[in-house]
Amino acid sequence: MSSSTLVFTSSDGVDITVDRDVAERSLLIKNMLEDLGESGEPIPIPNVNEAVLKKVIEWCTHHKNDPPSTGDDDDSRRKTTDIDEWDQKFMQVDQEMLFEIILAANYLDIKGLLDVGCKTVANMIKGKSPEEIRKTFNIQNDFTAEEEDQIRRENEWAEDR
Amino acid sequence: MILSLDCLPEEILHIILCYCHPCSAAALQGTAHRFENAINEPFLWRFYCQAHFKYWDSKHNISQKFSGPISAVNWKALYVYRHRIDRTTSHLLDSILAGQTGRIEKSRAIIGLGYDAKDTLIKSISALVDIDDHLARRYYAKALLTCLHRSIALPVWARLRNGENVALERALGAFDLFIPESGYGSLDEITNKLDDIVEQLSSLCPTSSMSTSRDKARAIAVYLRSNNLTGIQPDREYHCLEHNFLGFALNDPQHNSLPLVSAVIYCHVARRLGLNARPCGFPFHVHVIVKPPLGFDVDGNILGSGVYGDPIYMDPFRSDKETPVANLQNQLSYLGASTLEQSTFLGESQTSEIVLRCSKNILNSVQRISQFSCVNIVPIDTVSARYAALWSTMLLSESSRPEEFRHHLPWLMELFATEFPSDINLVEQYVVPMFRGLLEYEHILESLRVMRAVDEIPKQVKKRSSGSCNVKYRIGQVFQHCRYDYRAIITGWDTECDAGEQWMRRMGVDRLQGGRHQSFYHVLVEDRSVRYVAEENIKPITPHLSELPRTLIAIAGRHFKRWDKETRSFVSNIKDEYPDD
Repeated sequence: MSSSTLVFTSSDGVDITVDRDVAERSLLIKNMLEDLGESGEPIPIPNVNEAVLKKVIEWCTHHKNDPPSTGDDDDSRRKTTDIDEWDQKFMQVDQEMLFEIILAANYLDIKGLLDVGCKTVANMIKGKSPEEIRKTFNIQNDFTAEEEDQIRRENEWAEDR
Repeated sequence: MILSLDCLPEEILHIILCYCHPCSAAALQGTAHRFENAINEPFLWRFYCQAHFKYWDSKHNISQKFSGPISAVNWKALYVYRHRIDRTTSHLLDSILAGQTGRIEKSRAIIGLGYDAKDTLIKSISALVDIDDHLARRYYAKALLTCLHRSIALPVWARLRNGENVALERALGAFDLFIPESGYGSLDEITNKLDDIVEQLSSLCPTSSMSTSRDKARAIAVYLRSNNLTGIQPDREYHCLEHNFLGFALNDPQHNSLPLVSAVIYCHVARRLGLNARPCGFPFHVHVIVKPPLGFDVDGNILGSGVYGDPIYMDPFRSDKETPVANLQNQLSYLGASTLEQSTFLGESQTSEIVLRCSKNILNSVQRISQFSCVNIVPIDTVSARYAALWSTMLLSESSRPEEFRHHLPWLMELFATEFPSDINLVEQYVVPMFRGLLEYEHILESLRVMRAVDEIPKQVKKRSSGSCNVKYRIGQVFQHCRYDYRAIITGWDTECDAGEQWMRRMGVDRLQGGRHQSFYHVLVEDRSVRYVAEENIKPITPHLSELPRTLIAIAGRHFKRWDKETRSFVSNIKDEYPDD
């Protein structure tokens, strides 16, 4: 008989107890449990530190009753960038944390969380000029003046909105 | 180093880009090399093409492009092309909404963009109520979209008129393109629906089991009848307008269709399966005539070279069996048809004859609706249906008998001018040449010239200065007519009766209490008509929007931006003419 809770060990060595149905929002964990069975030992999550792991578990707890996602191709990623209210609030974190959550969701294979994270980033890019985007994300401009000019001319169509 | 956007692996960046608008992606492309390369991926632009545009002009061969190798197409260029069409269409539509001048030329420009303009128009048709001018936007976008559809339908009938070969289902499907409710925008969609039936049928009963023409003819009829794809549900009114439309019948879960439409469905399926099947022009009730291949009879027996076997007759509307030719002959004899007439009635019908017959049926159904003012809501716009019938009659009446199409001209011209003025280019292209050398020619040209002139000259501005302060009601006011009770909206005013002397005499204007020297109003009535009403006959009302008929709200978009809940009146979109209202 399988137990109703699991223990994760974060990359910085902290043990966190999680309800099994919450943990199974992660396809990585779910498949692992199905393939290897349960050892009773804590499961190491080497890429995710305690703060991020707690955020991820918070999200999974809130969404534990969501229907399982179907298909992960681009087709299901339609134009909509609507994010529900709870998720919007959840994503009000600093950029560092936002990208950590996205990477963790990708590693743990939690499609819903990965999508919300990516939508949040897409919304941060929306309506901005290249210069504003560089500022927002601290991107180094590595174009020469000619290159930059050429790209601007190629993409002039996008400025007429 | 701080974690940021450029630290994300490629596959996550791709997901983010899928959620970005392509314009945002283009901006991101201009930030640094890393993003420039990621965003140059053809795969991404193919995705954008697919996600942002549903309708493609046939010139793109888009389904072939989507299924072909990704490198065969410059996807970004294709996306940018469609983006430009979208922007051009939006600008033109905005300009049409902003003022009443030059609308014909702007409409022509949008229609000229072809089927690619449809996505943009659809977006405007579903404009939400929080958009300032949503009524006008929906109205004009819908007028343009239906005009676009008609510009696809009319060439089909024009080709038929020129004696070119047109597939039966396309000739009949053209009617559906006039009907916004049918949901069709191209004839291929109708052909595809029919081919789906062919596919299902051949997967269920392999053609090898149907060796002879007769076996095949029967098997098809059995399949169509048992799947309810032909005929009309017994509880339904035979003459319902929607039963005339091939595409509508194919889409409708009950698939109700008149004998003519059922016969066309049967013929398409039969011909795809290798039978020589054509509609037969039997009076009252179109049958199907199936001919065996040359040199054989319908049971596959050899008759000798060059010998035609006897055809068989099917009635897919009501039966899955053949109709013995003797039955048909008896009926014709009973009607008193001569032998020569009998052979015509029992022979194949030309495609143009079938289209004309369908137009007659439509006009017949429309007339019944107006006579019995059907209690049931008609799922098809009767005005559009009538318009389709008039156009097809006009284009397909025999040129040797001009009296036929001349007879329909006034009806078509009136309907075009009042309901479908954006079709002026279609009238010029298809109707005008038919009348060259006939009496009506100059008349038509003159009325088109007037329409263009009225469209191009800016409206005379009517300010509420001291001279017009006696005009009591404003543009957008809803009222009830004191004598005739109908409800209507004020769309214009004059400080005194501005109609001709003859009209005033006929209407007895001088017998009104206020006579001809009172304010008069142009009004849009709930039955879609346009009238001219004296101020004393106007009883203003302040209904809730939900109390007004939906048809009136839909056409209100012709003159109004939206409904104002506070004043319970419509907000003018003709400020260029009445700046103070």
